[in-house]
Amino acid sequence: MSIAYLGRESLRQLKNMRSMIFTLAVPLVMLLAFGGTFGGAGQVDAATRLPWIVVTTIQVAAYGGMMAALSQAFQIVTERSIGWNRQLRITPLSGTGYLVSKLVAALALALFSILVIVAVSIALYHPDLSMGSWMLAGLGIWCGVIPFALLGILVGQLAKPEFAQPLFMAVFMGMAVLGGLWVPLQLFPAWVADVAKAVPSYWLNRVGQLGALQSGDAITPAIVLAAWTLALGGLIVWRYRRDAARG
Amino acid sequence: MTGRHAERVNTTPAIRLTGLRKTFGALTAVDGVDLTIRPGEVVALLGPNGAGKSTTIDLALGLARPTSGDAELFGAAPIAAIREGRVGAMLQGGALLPTLTVAESVALVASAHRHPLSVAEALERARCTEIARQRVSKLSGGQLQRARFAVAVVSDPDLLFLDEPTAAMDVEARRTFWQSMREFTDAGRTVVFATHYLDEADEYADRIVMMARGRIVADGSPAEVKAVVSGRRIRATSDSPATPSARAALLALPGVRSAERHGDRITLVSDDSDATLRALLTAHPDLHDIEVTAHTMDEAFLALTEARDTEGALS
Repeated sequence: MSIAYLGRESLRQLKNMRSMIFTLAVPLVMLLAFGGTFGGAGQVDAATRLPWIVVTTIQVAAYGGMMAALSQAFQIVTERSIGWNRQLRITPLSGTGYLVSKLVAALALALFSILVIVAVSIALYHPDLSMGSWMLAGLGIWCGVIPFALLGILVGQLAKPEFAQPLFMAVFMGMAVLGGLWVPLQLFPAWVADVAKAVPSYWLNRVGQLGALQSGDAITPAIVLAAWTLALGGLIVWRYRRDAARG
Repeated sequence: MTGRHAERVNTTPAIRLTGLRKTFGALTAVDGVDLTIRPGEVVALLGPNGAGKSTTIDLALGLARPTSGDAELFGAAPIAAIREGRVGAMLQGGALLPTLTVAESVALVASAHRHPLSVAEALERARCTEIARQRVSKLSGGQLQRARFAVAVVSDPDLLFLDEPTAAMDVEARRTFWQSMREFTDAGRTVVFATHYLDEADEYADRIVMMARGRIVADGSPAEVKAVVSGRRIRATSDSPATPSARAALLALPGVRSAERHGDRITLVSDDSDATLRALLTAHPDLHDIEVTAHTMDEAFLALTEARDTEGALS
């Protein structure tokens, strides 16, 4: 597999202004809305013992990273429907290489998204958090984005072009709401919070908070996210083999 | 390069298809195709829509798996030749990404290859230098085909598949395209192009493979393929009345396969126009305004595909 190709594929997706704006607009608006409400007054969230603005920034960065990673679904569906992947099949790039390029691009887009959101938050609200804690929080979210990249790839493999949009929305909304990335989970009945503990987006948010705290139980989120990664990775491989066998 | 290696390269066919079949449910798209193409040949795959040209190309490239039979490129599985960058292709339904420029598209595909041409070189060969910085979504049909050609040649392939490369091109664009193609084939490389432009096959290929209903119905040089239907048309004007006996007399002439009359205009189709004409002039001094024409590619094409259809209906 060509490293040059992986780099170029990621770079081309990063340079696609329209999709980057689409990815970043919603989280940035959320940041400005929530950040404006809770402001830089330094209120501390009782549950996490982190400043409110930090909790909000992490939540929004998780949302942005997740959205950037999941958006590979559209990328793949579009490429399948216009036949770009047929063109790629006349190159040494293998089917696995193609999927890896999408994973790398998903992580590049997610990283960009996380960095922009954190940078905007720091610039506007000067939250009371050390650089080291920000780095750990960002790194935590970035690693936690891996299962979402895989989920995006799987949706891209499975969805017919006409169903890609609704399927993406269902997956995305479900993940955002259940993970507490949109509205704090405290606003829902208790059983929703229990269900939330099974979805990766909840732990994506949590892993960011743990990074910011630089302490706490990192084992549970790691296990849940790794389990999702393995399960989704398995499904992608299964689907890919089936497609290849049909040829 | 040792002599032995050179010999092996020369004798290994660029393409070998053996008993190739592909069915999609009840539909048989490719129905027993055997085809060997030597390095350096420029071959036209000619046939109407649905003849199986595109599926045959997909099978040759290993993009589709044959129901039965076997496809080899340069003596090995297609994937091996593709991985070595020896194969380029402009495929049906193989579009470029609309958000990229032409140069970016070429660079992206080049980065997937191991020993590509420089981007500038590929653009130059495909006459794309002026449109290099244009977005794919803004290109005209002809420009898009040129951009796809640039992408197809960036690996500097030995073998090129082109599926209806000049579709959506105007006359000028077609000429330019075939010029760049000539440069490519003059360097001894192999090209297979699918087309239903008969004049293109006639003019640019040194071999024509005609397909109809998933089978090869004719295979040879343009002249040979035309000779398969071997007909020449003799037209003449007659002043004598049309009678059954007059028609029988015409049919009795050497080489005549069919005789038709519309008004005073007679059309004979002959397998041996020289013999027919000599006899005709002697036996029918009343005929005048005589003209002899070769079958055009269109007529050859119609005759062959119709023959195949009739055969199919009978069996």
